[in-house]
Amino acid sequence: MIDYSFFPFDREKTLGDIGKEGLTQALQKMLLIRNFETRAEACYLQGKIGGFFHSYIGQEAIQTAALMTMGPKNWWVTTYRCHALALLLGATPEEIMSELFGRANGNAKGRGGSMHLYTDRLLGGFGIVGGQVPIATGAAFTISYLDIKDEIAVCFMGDGAVAQGAVYEAFNMAALYKLPCLFVIENNQWSMGTHLSRSHAVDKLAETKAQGFGMEGYTLDGMDYLSCYAGFKTLHQKILTDRKPILVEVVSERFKGHSISDPALYRSKETLKHAMERDPIVLLKNLMISKGFLDEETFKEMDKKMREIAVHAVDHAESSPWPDPKTLEQDVFAPSGRS
Amino acid sequence: MALIEMREALRQALDEEMTRDSRVFIMGEEVAEYNGAYKVTKGMLDKWGPKRVVDTPISENGFAGLGIGAAMTGLRPVIEFMSFNFSFVAADQIISNAAKMYYMSGNRFSVPIVFRGPNGAAAQVSSQHSHCVEAIYSNIPGLIVIAPSNPYDAKGLLKSAIRNNNPVLFLENELSYGDKGEVPEEEYLVPIGVAKVVTEGKDITLISHSRMVKLCQEVAVTLKAKGISVEVIDLRTIKPLDIATIKKSVEKTHFAVIVEEGHLFTGIASEVAFQIQDGCFESLDAPIARVCQRETPMAYSKALEKETMPTIERILKTIETTLSRKI
Repeated sequence: MIDYSFFPFDREKTLGDIGKEGLTQALQKMLLIRNFETRAEACYLQGKIGGFFHSYIGQEAIQTAALMTMGPKNWWVTTYRCHALALLLGATPEEIMSELFGRANGNAKGRGGSMHLYTDRLLGGFGIVGGQVPIATGAAFTISYLDIKDEIAVCFMGDGAVAQGAVYEAFNMAALYKLPCLFVIENNQWSMGTHLSRSHAVDKLAETKAQGFGMEGYTLDGMDYLSCYAGFKTLHQKILTDRKPILVEVVSERFKGHSISDPALYRSKETLKHAMERDPIVLLKNLMISKGFLDEETFKEMDKKMREIAVHAVDHAESSPWPDPKTLEQDVFAPSGRS
Repeated sequence: MALIEMREALRQALDEEMTRDSRVFIMGEEVAEYNGAYKVTKGMLDKWGPKRVVDTPISENGFAGLGIGAAMTGLRPVIEFMSFNFSFVAADQIISNAAKMYYMSGNRFSVPIVFRGPNGAAAQVSSQHSHCVEAIYSNIPGLIVIAPSNPYDAKGLLKSAIRNNNPVLFLENELSYGDKGEVPEEEYLVPIGVAKVVTEGKDITLISHSRMVKLCQEVAVTLKAKGISVEVIDLRTIKPLDIATIKKSVEKTHFAVIVEEGHLFTGIASEVAFQIQDGCFESLDAPIARVCQRETPMAYSKALEKETMPTIERILKTIETTLSRKI
């Protein structure tokens, strides 16, 4: 086990800052993600969704906290594990499910699928590991170029991406040009089936790598919503003030295989069981109950409501039209116009 | 009209577009303080400052991706590759992100970006600095590929490229930067996707692009003296290909030879030849022929370099075979 030193914060003060309302909103978002992924996975197993399907289950606290602390009005970039961030940034469950079903009214008109979702502020789920990191750096360049003071670029990548060259080119340029970018390594322990310890010569990815670029590097506990919240809130403010990038590793564990077609035979049942004892939703729920912000009954109600939303999204997608084959060759090029 | 070098024409295009649109900026290795490896951006740092003329580390994959991210979020970057051979380390960004984004995102994000720099062989720079990239990138839907042969077209096309809402690969040539040509004083654009008949003729059509157009024009002069009237077409834009202009010419001449600096196998010439036979097979009086770079990496030695590249002699010989006529 790696002995992480997580970003220090005052739990009681953070709880007070977020308040009952904020925690309830966060829990609701995390439950929406969990239920969405669960229903979509069922559809995948029934053959209704094709391609690759990377589930965010187990990692919900991370992007939820990022969104709750920083707000949507930033440039957001993430990996192919992108359903959660699209939901958090306001893409509807219906449009995302329609996209997974390959329908005309999908988030990307049925052209992107599970790995490529967008909103007006989400530049994408990106399919090539590490390839999104220079893109986020470019978004931060735009913010800097246009001298926008209240926005940053937020770039998620997996632990696997930290072995890719593009990532280091981007880190160097972001630090060199002093770009307002938060690089978030979501360490879910696995580069597909290869454990962190077999991918990287060192651990504590942010703390070790950041130094080489003159960046600050931090580590958060990705299973603990409060750790994520306190960490992201502080780092966001730091970037807005200092106008330079920061690297943060959020230690987590995905509960599913790399994609749904991966039975994850490389991970022992004990390891998974151990990880699931720290299910971020259960931890948050228990915390809220202990503070008197929530009871079992209300939790069940919330969960049921989110399940209904996900079920409705499936119904919506199933009854949505397929893309007209006549549209196949449309939009390979953007039209001219305002330039 | 002023007689100016290719590099000056390119600089004028950049300068005019930066004046016109504050979102346009230049980024690349040695573009600012060094004044450009080939002096295309000479003086631009002094005029525009480091915010809009940005030197980069040697990180093509990184700064190509940075440019794409900037383009997706509202800017209009012009990214210089010191050589298009270096674009290969940025191929993931160009192919997976720039080319596919508009379609893949269901039209949510366009990528208005220009990648420009010298392409192909220079003088004895060996295998890793001499590759012609147009055949590789033209295989990717979503990319526009431009390769001008003279200062007039270079200026007008670069301005059009910067204003276009799609990723454009703008291929220049190191050996052509000093070429002089007439360029109007007043502003003009050259449209993307329109080829040009640069020499009119009636006996055979020569189709080429970039620096090889000059060779074809020399061939036309040589053959004119021998009573053969050669029509030379400069593609100017490789993709989208202006097949209509080519077709019109071949329907008139009935013979076609394609001259390409790049390699033979799956080259631009293959595509042009296919489209000619597809569009005007019945007009052809002989098989279409091509003169391309031979299937070897570029050798360093002058003697070998000359042997692998298209030459006037090879073009003449090919025309002779195509016309079944002693020249």
